[in-house]
Amino acid sequence: MVYIASWDDFLEKSVQLFRSDPEKTRYSMKYRHCDGKLVLKVTDDKECIKFKTDQAQDAKKMEKFNNIFFTLMARGPEADISEVGGKEQAEAQPVKKGRGRKQ
Amino acid sequence: MVRLQPDPFLNELTNMFERTTEKGSVWVTLKHSSDKSKLKRDKMKTAGEKIEYKCLVRATDGKKTISTMVGVKDHQRFQSSYATILKTRMTALKKRERKDKRKAADSDKKQDPKKQSSAVKPSN
Repeated sequence: MVYIASWDDFLEKSVQLFRSDPEKTRYSMKYRHCDGKLVLKVTDDKECIKFKTDQAQDAKKMEKFNNIFFTLMARGPEADISEVGGKEQAEAQPVKKGRGRKQ
Repeated sequence: MVRLQPDPFLNELTNMFERTTEKGSVWVTLKHSSDKSKLKRDKMKTAGEKIEYKCLVRATDGKKTISTMVGVKDHQRFQSSYATILKTRMTALKKRERKDKRKAADSDKKQDPKKQSSAVKPSN
């Protein structure tokens, strides 16, 4: 099992793996509350990469990772994930300003 | 393997986390899937039909397995509910240790100037 130390590396390789074989690639997460450990695994049954942690800050990073993968897997490998948070902002932008002054 | 709708799936997932607090693990797997067998997919490809893909989500506690299919329209809502469950439940992970070390380092630094100032006085 290949454990990757850098989060950004893990993220990039995971997206690459998925885009190269969307039919086979899957993302697994294992959480053990009794040990306080979290392990992420992405594999296409040929290559496998993993990331393990016991830090609360990595749970936040994993949240973003989840958002990215939900988007990729629901919409397809062609989905645009450039800042998954950016999508929500883009939707909020077309809000019209208030009406003119009262006269 | 129990196939559920997205909302009952989330409820059952919460229960799984509750059951495994003292002992055990929770596995959650995400996969891009069409819910059709390889044979059917190949037939559809040759027929020129468009295959509808969804996100297959599976969860297990080692004994019981549940699954659900999340489509394009539901995925935003599902992912925010899912994120909320994880945030609430993943409380056993360690908080940042660096801050504690920094605090310890700061308190040491505060003590040092006092020692220095007390050392300076006798020289005068």
